[in-house]
Amino acid sequence: MPREPKLYRRLPGRGTSIAHYVRLYQGPDHLLQVSSTGYSELYKRFYFRDIQAITIRKTHWANLWTILFAVLILGFFLVGFDLTGAGRIVLWSIAGFFLACIVLHLGLGPACVCHIRTAVQLERLPTLRRVKAARKAINRIKPFIAEAQGQLSAEELMQRMQPGRASSFERVAPTPVQESTDAPPVIAPDANRPAANA
Amino acid sequence: MNGPTVSCTKCNSPVPPDFFQRTDLAPCPACEAALQVEVFPALFKPIAVGKFGETILVDGEASCFYHPQKRATIPCAGCGRFLCAVCDVELNNQHLCPACLETGRQKGKLPQLENKRMLFDSAALSLALLPLLMWPLTLMTAPAAIIVAIYSWRKPSSILPRTRIRAYLAILIAALQMAGWGLLFVGVFSNAFEP
Repeated sequence: MPREPKLYRRLPGRGTSIAHYVRLYQGPDHLLQVSSTGYSELYKRFYFRDIQAITIRKTHWANLWTILFAVLILGFFLVGFDLTGAGRIVLWSIAGFFLACIVLHLGLGPACVCHIRTAVQLERLPTLRRVKAARKAINRIKPFIAEAQGQLSAEELMQRMQPGRASSFERVAPTPVQESTDAPPVIAPDANRPAANA
Repeated sequence: MNGPTVSCTKCNSPVPPDFFQRTDLAPCPACEAALQVEVFPALFKPIAVGKFGETILVDGEASCFYHPQKRATIPCAGCGRFLCAVCDVELNNQHLCPACLETGRQKGKLPQLENKRMLFDSAALSLALLPLLMWPLTLMTAPAAIIVAIYSWRKPSSILPRTRIRAYLAILIAALQMAGWGLLFVGVFSNAFEP
């Protein structure tokens, strides 16, 4: 029996809290954020065509962990230094465990907070907590966003950000809905049609 | 009026456009937080104007099922009712009415709209395993684990790829517990009735 094609691919990074863990998946036309308690899953979708921007902001909480691990390593090492035999081996083993933790922690790189922006929301992505993982995940989804939205060159981007061209990006106010059905139809002004006095 | 902007997620001040082309972190001009911003073309796209139904002007024109004064533009792919532009909801190239959309969401027929699923197989496995810590409880939880595993057999599990290994294990472990209880009862009663 042929194996079903994988619909979702897991992206780097993971987020955990006391009650649930969060993972991010790349779907065919959207990002899927799955928050799981183990017995239920909550889904949040970010469609590639709607993603306006992704921001990575470096944070300093990882430094606190580095300091904590360093203090623990030093503490267990120094206390073990005064002991002999089995006591020393136990304490130095604990120091070794924290040394492994700090190496792993430093290997993961600096910490960050990642946000995804659409026209109507700014959502934090709890899975992307390391700059390295965030960049990796963004690079994985970029081609899909480009496929859904097209691509902008650097010049186009700068051109579109010019205040002079701003009017072309102004959000179009929705045409008011006619409440009364008895009223005669109103012909909306056509932007493409030249003005009568032109 | 200024163009579209992206704000710093710490101080909420607008990020200058030269940030958008950077591939490394750079300090926010307002709060000095190290930022990297990836911008996509959707940022410059105006929000689409909402549709509104056209009023019927000629007698005999097909009208919307929900708005009799509005001209029907399309039939619902689910129930076939005529819909005006207001009631037409497009989802994956299907045109549905709000009622069919709601029904489909409630019955889980539209996976794109599902935002929660229960993992009954995990519940069954926990029901089979966790009471082992207080083993007398397994007298009640083992049958319950089997019932939950069988009940969930045809229910949709996670959206993500997932095997049935948890349900199989739950049934196996619960069956072993029940067999253990059976042997215990047989042993106790056979000893009790021996002369």
